[in-house]
Amino acid sequence: MLGNQFDTKDFALLAVVLLLPAIGAFVNGVFGKRLGKEAVRLMALTAIGGAFLASVVTFLSVPHDGGRLSWTVWRWMSVTGQSGNSVPIDVKFSVDAMTATMMLVVTGVGFLIHLYASEYMKKDPGYHRFFCYLNLFCFAMLLLITGDNLPVLFVGWEGVGMCSYLLIGFWFDDEKNARAGKKAFIVNRIGDFGLILAMALLVYYCGSLTWEGIDNSKLSLLAPVKIWPIGNLSKETLPVFLGNIIIPDKPVQVYAATLVALALFLGCAGKSAQVPLYIWLPDAMAGPTPVSALIHAATMVTAGVYLVARLHFVFLLSPAAMAVVAVIGVVTALLAASIGLFQHDLKKVLAYSTVSQLGFMFIGVGVGAFAAGFFHVFTHAFFKACLFLGAGSVIHAMHARIHDTDRSQDMRNMGGLKRFMPITRWTFFASCCAIAGFPLTAGFWSKDEILWSAFSNNVVNSKAAATPRMAPYEWPPWLGQAIYWGAILAATMTAFYMFRAYFMTFHGNFRGWSIVRGWTDPHAGHDHHDHHEEHDTSKPLEGPEPHESPAPMTAPLVVLAAFALFAGFLNAHPIHIAPLGHFLEPVFKGAEGFVSEREGAKGLMWVMMAPGFAAFLVGTAAAMYVYLNRAGQPEKVFAEKAGGLYRLIYDKWRIDELYDATVVGMVDALADIFTMADKWFIDGVLARLTAMLTALAGTLLRTLQTGRIQVYAAVMLLGLGGVGWFMVYPHADVTADDTSLRSTGEVKLAAAPGYGYTFRWEGLTGTDSQLTERSAVTVRLQPGEKKNVTVFVKNAFQLETSHTVALERPGLPPGAKAQSDGKGAAPPNVPGMVRPDIPTGEIPADDIHKLLLPRGADQGNNKGAEK
Amino acid sequence: MSTVPVEYFLIVAAVLFVVGAVGFLLRRNLLVLLMSIELMLNSVNLTLVAYNRLHAANHAGQNLAFFVIAVAAAEAAVGLAIVLAFFRVRKTIHSDEANLLKN
Repeated sequence: MLGNQFDTKDFALLAVVLLLPAIGAFVNGVFGKRLGKEAVRLMALTAIGGAFLASVVTFLSVPHDGGRLSWTVWRWMSVTGQSGNSVPIDVKFSVDAMTATMMLVVTGVGFLIHLYASEYMKKDPGYHRFFCYLNLFCFAMLLLITGDNLPVLFVGWEGVGMCSYLLIGFWFDDEKNARAGKKAFIVNRIGDFGLILAMALLVYYCGSLTWEGIDNSKLSLLAPVKIWPIGNLSKETLPVFLGNIIIPDKPVQVYAATLVALALFLGCAGKSAQVPLYIWLPDAMAGPTPVSALIHAATMVTAGVYLVARLHFVFLLSPAAMAVVAVIGVVTALLAASIGLFQHDLKKVLAYSTVSQLGFMFIGVGVGAFAAGFFHVFTHAFFKACLFLGAGSVIHAMHARIHDTDRSQDMRNMGGLKRFMPITRWTFFASCCAIAGFPLTAGFWSKDEILWSAFSNNVVNSKAAATPRMAPYEWPPWLGQAIYWGAILAATMTAFYMFRAYFMTFHGNFRGWSIVRGWTDPHAGHDHHDHHEEHDTSKPLEGPEPHESPAPMTAPLVVLAAFALFAGFLNAHPIHIAPLGHFLEPVFKGAEGFVSEREGAKGLMWVMMAPGFAAFLVGTAAAMYVYLNRAGQPEKVFAEKAGGLYRLIYDKWRIDELYDATVVGMVDALADIFTMADKWFIDGVLARLTAMLTALAGTLLRTLQTGRIQVYAAVMLLGLGGVGWFMVYPHADVTADDTSLRSTGEVKLAAAPGYGYTFRWEGLTGTDSQLTERSAVTVRLQPGEKKNVTVFVKNAFQLETSHTVALERPGLPPGAKAQSDGKGAAPPNVPGMVRPDIPTGEIPADDIHKLLLPRGADQGNNKGAEK
Repeated sequence: MSTVPVEYFLIVAAVLFVVGAVGFLLRRNLLVLLMSIELMLNSVNLTLVAYNRLHAANHAGQNLAFFVIAVAAAEAAVGLAIVLAFFRVRKTIHSDEANLLKN
């Protein structure tokens, strides 16, 4: 086999998998416009197809004993750990069973969707741009799943986020699409914050960011962390009433593992659209439909599930975090499913169904059934991609009648399409069965295993006994069952809204005739879909009829539908056919000892399948009754009778409005405050006022610039006169050097010299009566003495001036010995200054011990000595 | 031969300088302005050589006077050229008319 030619430690074949899409993105992005659409299509399909083939080889080369293929490319950087140790971060890729499976999904489903998109986007002027982004996305997604450590994963994580942003806003002419892209990006940033936080915590506690390194040192995550009160906040440092309320008697402690797991989960919730960060995904449907299928259903949004499964050993250390994951999963599944019930937009239904299914995946990984959760990722990729592509095919057909995005996706304008597009109809039907859980289809097996695990699993932190510092969180016995019944309810709703979509779209009468009434000319405009040369005049037809999509679009549908029906047998545990399950087993062997079967769940597996099957039956039957037999009449009745509730659900429980009113409103208010500060203070005071002052000064000074030479000359003359006067007049500047005033009382006075200057000093002991050349004198002062010294200066022009210097020596502090000679006098008492009483001169041997005494005692002694 | 006291030279120089300065400030004819500058320069020359008499051994004053003469010659050449150019533009040599850059 080709794969055997590579060393498992240096598996450079990954370069092919990774670089082909990167090259495709580069070529299409840089040269795509000149190459033309055919070349772009060839490049994109070759890149992703080649990556798929290399992935197949990689998949076959993965050892079945839990080993991994790895390829180290280069040392990226190293950071400093908790104890000053170096934590290396390499650009390293590794592939184990889970990654290999995921690679097959990404490249395989990716290839089918590329193929589909090459036809779907045919008339788009941004064809090359689209495939550049799509290839770039595949590259980033492969980086995400093959990265051997969190930083490399993070690069891919951000890369897919960016591609998602670019593709949601692909038709950015419409502001709605651009806004949706922005929303997705910003909501994802909130999650990424958690991921970065988790990385920092892992470096701190584990000293490693690679999967293996974290696994090896995971027990250090059992360190307790005080999370409240933070810092040195305590009852003493707070006001009494506040301290009693917010400071508990015992500090709140959690395991570091809980913090890491919750921070990781925040990232996962952002990327995988879980409550409360799910709001971006439904809006993301603004992008082209193949993008919705590839990025927002099959691959990128499952990255969060992948990350939880990848770091399952961290999550398992914290049953509390696992419970959070599972509960968030079930809440998301229920909420999204309920919103999906009454949406009219076909893609919106699928979007909420995706959010809901992602919730199921998180239930799976949250209850410790990592293989089951991951298997749902796997099957969901097929049936949801198939559903989205089917929806795309329908929209493509609807475009024959209308070119408006919203109206062409509105199910109220569809109906009866099974007549026109049989392949799309049957593949859509197959995928509907899979997602609704029709027995033996892929979705049945994967969902059923999740449900059973939720019912039967119990997560226990079995390693906590090794560090008996803190009691670990224990799952209440009802939690698993509550999750199970919640998931059953969500599954019922899933079956209902999926078949509602199916019946509304493909059954009944085509309601789209009314869109373009009186439409006659089939060749006007840019309508490329009308292959309706042979009109069937018996139909109530005005204008083109919907039609089946061309082969490049239907072929992926057929392949995906086949997988949607039969992929379940790769992991059908109840009937003991689970090749994929056994392949994945070694990856999740860390779960042993943490996840156990709950008491009282033994032997109930086949029994508990019944509610799952019932969910399918009830949901499907209800949808059939309402939308097939009664053609949607009961929905209208319900909408009239319970209008408020109906509208509330239709408006997505108004969660977006709630966020607008709270979080977004707060951020906006903050932004407004900063805008005001910017406008008034920065622009107003700092910029405008300064400019005004400068302009004012300029205006004043400009009056002096008359431009007449005579005025300048006159000013020059004035200046000349000033300089002359300065030269002629004597200056008596005295500098006093009083550095030794405190110690000896000496002050050196020096008068500035000048041409022909003579000096006479007054106020000295021996006052001069004559003018002399003496320009510097020394004055000595007694403590507390004040003295005025005046110097008279006369220059060559016989002009005279004088300058008086007031000198003062501070008095001695009370209690200090006055020293008549002026030498070594104590400096003055400056308030607030602590001055040691150091005797000057020779210290008598008997007094040396006094130097060691505290100041007070020393003074006491002094006083005593004086007495 | 009786010596003329240095103060006499200084007084003459001062008078010349004031005449030059006042002329420069009050007249508007560019040629007259140039001549006023010459007057002031020469009054400085006179002062320099007069002081040099006090220090007969030192010729710094006289040397400086030569420099001043050389600079004055250059100044006259450039100044007259400017006046000529100005005249060609404005058809006058009235200094107040040299206001093209204003406004």
